[in-house]
Amino acid sequence: MKKFDIVIAGGGVIGAACAYFLSRDTDLKIALIDIKKPGNASRASAGGLWAIGESVGLGCGVIFFKTLSKLQSEANGKEIPVMRPHQLPDCFFEFALTSNDMYPALHQEMLERHGVDFKFERTGLKFIMYNEDDRIYADQITSGIPHLADQIRWLDAEQLKKEEPYITPDAIGAIDFICDHQVNPYRLVDAYTESARQNGVELVLNTEVTSVIREGSRVMGVETTSGTFQCNTLINAAGAWADELFHQATGYNMPVYPVKGQIVLSERMPKILNGCISTSDCYIAQKDNGEILIGSTTEEKGFDTTNTLDKITELSQGAMKCLPILKESNIKRCWAGLRPGTPDELPILGEVPGVEGYLNACGHFRTGILTSAITGQLITELVTGQPTSLDLTPFSVARFLEG
Amino acid sequence: MSDLYPVIIVGGGPAGTAAAAQLGKFGIESEIIEEASKIGGVIYRGPLRNTATLPHLDDNLKRSMAALQTRYENQRANIKLKLNTRVLGPEGKSKLLLNNDEVLNTIDYQELILATGCHERSVPFAGWQLPGVMLMGGVQLQIKSGLVKPGNRMALVGTGPLLPLVACQLHKSGVEVVGVYEASQFSKLAREAVALLNKPKLTLSGLSMMGYLKKHNIPFHYGWGVVKAKGEQKLSQLVVAPYNEQWQADTQKSKTIDVDSVGVGYGFVARSQLAMLLGVEHSYSNVSGNVPELDKWQHSSVNNVYVAGDSSGLLGADAAICEGQIAALRIAQNRGKLTAQQATQQASKIIKKLDRIKRFRYGFDRFSTRQVGLMDLAEVDTIVCRCEQTTRGQIDIAIAQGVKDITSLKMRTRIGMGDCQGKTCSSYAIDRLHQAGCTENVGVIKPRFPLDPIPFAMLEEHV
Repeated sequence: MKKFDIVIAGGGVIGAACAYFLSRDTDLKIALIDIKKPGNASRASAGGLWAIGESVGLGCGVIFFKTLSKLQSEANGKEIPVMRPHQLPDCFFEFALTSNDMYPALHQEMLERHGVDFKFERTGLKFIMYNEDDRIYADQITSGIPHLADQIRWLDAEQLKKEEPYITPDAIGAIDFICDHQVNPYRLVDAYTESARQNGVELVLNTEVTSVIREGSRVMGVETTSGTFQCNTLINAAGAWADELFHQATGYNMPVYPVKGQIVLSERMPKILNGCISTSDCYIAQKDNGEILIGSTTEEKGFDTTNTLDKITELSQGAMKCLPILKESNIKRCWAGLRPGTPDELPILGEVPGVEGYLNACGHFRTGILTSAITGQLITELVTGQPTSLDLTPFSVARFLEG
Repeated sequence: MSDLYPVIIVGGGPAGTAAAAQLGKFGIESEIIEEASKIGGVIYRGPLRNTATLPHLDDNLKRSMAALQTRYENQRANIKLKLNTRVLGPEGKSKLLLNNDEVLNTIDYQELILATGCHERSVPFAGWQLPGVMLMGGVQLQIKSGLVKPGNRMALVGTGPLLPLVACQLHKSGVEVVGVYEASQFSKLAREAVALLNKPKLTLSGLSMMGYLKKHNIPFHYGWGVVKAKGEQKLSQLVVAPYNEQWQADTQKSKTIDVDSVGVGYGFVARSQLAMLLGVEHSYSNVSGNVPELDKWQHSSVNNVYVAGDSSGLLGADAAICEGQIAALRIAQNRGKLTAQQATQQASKIIKKLDRIKRFRYGFDRFSTRQVGLMDLAEVDTIVCRCEQTTRGQIDIAIAQGVKDITSLKMRTRIGMGDCQGKTCSSYAIDRLHQAGCTENVGVIKPRFPLDPIPFAMLEEHV
């Protein structure tokens, strides 16, 4: 049996971020337990830090909201524009933007102290407009966030052509969210993990948590395939698998469920994109090694991680429409990841009423990479009993529990 | 079970065609998906000649291949062929996505027999990427084509029975073979005499090959191997040296020989990418890489998915035929064409034959077990992963930083993330992790969909 102050269940980007911030800011004894399951969202991610883009339903949300609007339109029995911006509440903007602001310094800090590089790139996120409907949509987005006007640039067709010459000449312009950037997602996970290891965190890899040990309402530790781990606090960072662990720890259930996203990746190409791109069909990001990543679908199919030709075709066609040069390239890989979705699209963070020795750090849906930094910081504040830098009330699991 | 779909067989080599012929005997239809323009597999491969003649094979194998061909021809009515077709991976739950002559389509399956064969094990050493340095299978394909002479002055390095065979074939094709270097000691081969007697005729034919080499003054060196390849634009010199029991080269005694081509043969690795994508459980074998976990009927951990031939572990063509037949018998039983007793009875004769081949084969496997000295051939700046240009030095640093499994190594160094999906580098990477003492949960480079790149343009009109 091993004894720790903190056991983190789940070594994806959230668990690894918690391990890093806790190990950087405290002297606690920490174990990070991870098993790589198919569909692990951190490795499947695109690595966009699209704080505004995701908050207004672009990027990863594009297909999601297109589907949502279509369903609403059908339910109402009347024609409403298929694409309407879907804006998340203010608390999410704050959460996402605060996290986003942390990356430049975090990148520097990890590079200098730990020799790891998660390839932070200042890219902006451009929403490409093909027609008048798209322009109306862009107008609606910008008018919904007047306080962020200084983060938005409007580009006409000519400016767009100058900045992104490979984008189709059919585009009539774009809006650019200048504070939205990108990282290499698996390098970010690896950077947090390696830095945490250097800070003394014990990595317990290839290990599955099989059950939670409780005494009354207090969590005492976990049983795993590598033995028993006692702890003062268990942090649930189990991604799409978080509900099972939550249930074992608390006896309750919470609505965290897998939301499948298929992704298409091109072969390496010379640099053809200066920034990240979102259209009303898909998002497109050229990664640090030249590959072009196209995402992503939003499907509720349980833990299924298969690729399907229809979805890959849709994504590819959307991308070729925007970036015709892709027709000269090949699809090198496709995969599917499982986002940890919640009904209100907000994460589930912090304590559970009536349960001791347990914290949630889950339900990050489409934005785990982006919001991992603030999550690591908030969890560290909770563990050390400091006031949290953001109000956690809207993110408490209490919102889903009865009574 | 209803007989809605034909049995889908991926791979038209000995295992796949034997399975199809066996199924046909029970009136069960099958469809063979084959990447080449004709069936037969690499044992036949040769683009522009009548490939029914097999001068490169020993007489026994020639006979069993001829018998297989007859059985196959007799059942042609029950066998559909999809040639020039590569399987890109699973599509949804019970379909495969195919690239058939640059057109994408899907095929449904009920039962699947994977007979995808093997690919070569690549061993990186200084200069291994120079033109003129070839793997042994590549050398053989050029000879079998009857059109390409792999070199004028050649050496062969590696281990196992392919070395004398290819040396004879090269000599017959008019290539000057300046030396054959077998990494293991002769005394080690002598220890396997009992195992080799399981296939006395084959052992004799091996001896006759050694006699042929001697007669033609082709030097065969036991306990010698490659150190490095040298040359400006292409190979011009090969450095070889005596190996000790651990295959560590004694570079004090190294020799430099002038050659324009070298064949490198350290064995083959099961081609298990499709099986892995389908979710079949695999385990690691030192000889064959990742091999599927199968029951005695060649049935995998995934319902109705069978694996036969070299893709289930390297045993060669005659064993592949047996395995294809065994899988077919089980399917015939499941489809109600045979009782359990009949199936078991028919299979037991084949299993007995298979066991004899295995005992013979395992003798050679023990003789040829890769030794740790091979790991030292790659120098710090030698490229291990060609697609991503990952060097040995980068791998060493990652391991020194505490990387203990292949997935983390991949994330850290990009090894195995290129177009070939780790076919070239993963053997070395796994051996290297083992060498560093990481023996548990090393993992594998997981294949990704699609197994071959798909041109975006192919999806342009696709709906």
